[in-house]
Amino acid sequence: MPRLPPSLFWRARREISPMATYLLKACRDLESTANELRWIREHVRATPSPVFPGLRTWNLCERRGKGVPLQYVLGTQPFGNLDIKCRPGVLIPRPETEAYTLHLASLLSQEQQSSPAPLSILDLCTGTGCIPLLLLSSLLTPPAAPPKITIHALDISPLAISLATHNHAHNTALNLLPPPTPQTPHTLTFTRANIFHPLPAPPHHQQPGGTIDLLTANPPYISPAAFATDTSRAVRNHEPRLALVPDTSTSTLTDYAAAYNCLPQDIFYARLLECAAELRPRRVFLEVGDMAQAVRVVGMVLRDGGAGLGGYYATVEIWRDEPEVERVEMRRIAGREVGVRGEGKGRGVYLFQGDV
Amino acid sequence: MLAAPWVCRSCARSLGRVGISQFSQFIRRASTGTATELPAALLERARKLTAEHEQLSAALETDFDVKRAKRAGELSRIATALKQLEKAKASLSELQGLLTSDDAELRELAQDDLEATNVELADSSHNLSVALTPKHPFADMPCLLEIRPGPGGTEGRFFADSLFHMYQAYCANKGYRTRVVKYDTMDNDGQTGSEGEVPLQEAVLEVEDPGAYAKFRGEAGMHRVQRVPVTEKSGRTHTSAVAVWVLPSFPESGNTDAESEWDNPESDFYINPAEIRCETMRARGAGGQHVNKTESAIRLTHIPTGTTVSMQDSRSQQRNRDYAWRLMRSRLAQQRREAREEKARQLRSSVLANSQITRGDKIRTYNYQQDRCTDHRSALDVHNLPDVLRGGDTLGRVMESVQTWLVNKDIELLIADEEAADASVAKKKGKGGN
Repeated sequence: MPRLPPSLFWRARREISPMATYLLKACRDLESTANELRWIREHVRATPSPVFPGLRTWNLCERRGKGVPLQYVLGTQPFGNLDIKCRPGVLIPRPETEAYTLHLASLLSQEQQSSPAPLSILDLCTGTGCIPLLLLSSLLTPPAAPPKITIHALDISPLAISLATHNHAHNTALNLLPPPTPQTPHTLTFTRANIFHPLPAPPHHQQPGGTIDLLTANPPYISPAAFATDTSRAVRNHEPRLALVPDTSTSTLTDYAAAYNCLPQDIFYARLLECAAELRPRRVFLEVGDMAQAVRVVGMVLRDGGAGLGGYYATVEIWRDEPEVERVEMRRIAGREVGVRGEGKGRGVYLFQGDV
Repeated sequence: MLAAPWVCRSCARSLGRVGISQFSQFIRRASTGTATELPAALLERARKLTAEHEQLSAALETDFDVKRAKRAGELSRIATALKQLEKAKASLSELQGLLTSDDAELRELAQDDLEATNVELADSSHNLSVALTPKHPFADMPCLLEIRPGPGGTEGRFFADSLFHMYQAYCANKGYRTRVVKYDTMDNDGQTGSEGEVPLQEAVLEVEDPGAYAKFRGEAGMHRVQRVPVTEKSGRTHTSAVAVWVLPSFPESGNTDAESEWDNPESDFYINPAEIRCETMRARGAGGQHVNKTESAIRLTHIPTGTTVSMQDSRSQQRNRDYAWRLMRSRLAQQRREAREEKARQLRSSVLANSQITRGDKIRTYNYQQDRCTDHRSALDVHNLPDVLRGGDTLGRVMESVQTWLVNKDIELLIADEEAADASVAKKKGKGGN
């Protein structure tokens, strides 16, 4: 990281505020420094505390200046229309995740408008619970509220499960999520589980003919080498490694890598696709790190040709950062034409039983 | 006779105190008078519309139709105003008949009534012209007040903040619902103005009540301030300016009418998504889990007109995007409307065109030394500047005077339009005859 010139600190002090010199160390440019200072001040104004506001602002700026992500400093991150609480030890929701979650929700809503049916969703590696919460909130908006929604979310970390449960209650209390009523019955459960063990079977999996409509996952997908070089400092030093890098020190994960002959950063996809093959959800969306990884995951989906998942899912797509942009280019992967949708960098792999 | 065409009011008053009172005719008042005699073109139009109203009401008695009922409702105000006017005219001619009568007592009575009837006639002709003025198409909408300091130092920025708080307080006093859409300040090392203002860069205040556009329409333009800034050491008065723009806005709460209008290419609010370039702050490198950017700024550019909107107030990019789109729609709608008005103006006589106030002209002056606020259009002077800046009743008085001025302006334009239309018809006829 290049050194910031001292003149920039002087300018921050003169043009923004003395507090900005702390923030500048983490923000590295004047515009985002001014914005973050404003958000910190707004947060201080909005949350009552016996501590003197100026002192609180100064404290928060100092913590942020030490490189702690702003979301941990303020304790929240807006996600869609929701307010997601963030705590150290749980991954902070990213704007890219927000973009594809909203797009998935709009696809499901469109389907609901033509043929309303109960929905069942499974989210793995849920973290703060942002994906299931935003899906629930978007699907419950009036024009196409499905008759019944059942969402099940799993994570290995007890911290994540308690935070996700808290987020559900917090957003319901803020009236951003409607509570279940007889007209809109919905359940959302967070369970602690290791997805490398057999998945705990929630009731809706066991029902005869009970299918899952959507399987989503934002698994750890950074390789140990990329973690050391490509991640930003705030991520590397303050966000949980568990949520970012597949832990290759355990034999369960290395066994998968050996059995599927995949790179260490792709281990989770091997297991997730195994889950998909077992549960046969109608749609699957897996977040990935970049286009190369997306291509590798599509390769894993299409590995067995018509016999495996490739034959089951008629639509295999790669989504970019902004999948809502109507732009699809075709790309040939493992002998099949795969659509690359949207604009930005490769962000996820989308599988759908039907045609687009 | 006096050389001066007028005498200022305080001089006239002091002259009056020493017994000289003949200057009353020279006092200049904030007059908003219009001609009492309506032009023939306007009367003709009123008669036509009244005839239409009668037809419509007759048709409505037999079968009801929502569209026709709406039109009849619009026209009813013209019909009643015309009826009133004709009544006043009839009584006037009757009185004039009585004036020529032989009975002295009767003449006296008629003389007494004449004045009242004249006033009534003036009132009703004014009412009729108000009724004839077409309602502004955005009049029923909520509005966005955009406040931006003019070129110059921090003094203008401080005053922009004062204006922002003035409108906010005014809305609070009047019970209008408001929302701060954008409030960008420069954090100048804790330096504040004389009343704790912060240097404002740009602010957008949304007044969410329907009909707010009509109420605030007159506020658009340059607001000039004259005062001694806190930074000024030798006590000189500085003049700076702040631009206020008033844009129509759509009510947010799921108004299906409004949303259908967004998709209607005929509407002023329609934007072809293909004409918008949307720029976001993209994280360098891989993105996703690799980085944790807090930048949520959105910039929209409307390519054909080059209008840009940038929004970075909220931490949520989604919310910034929504607000940016709304602001873009409002700005484009206003631009389209202004372009149409400009075209209409070119068709009118050039004399009137010159008296038009565009948003580049200064419309109001706030003078701190003289504790005075002057509106240059309605020529209204009010004192008690602190009450104006607190958004009190004094500001309400200024805004009302502007409302009246705007209505009279609209009437003048209407008359000019009618006359121009008549003239062109006559010309065509003349040509046809040859």
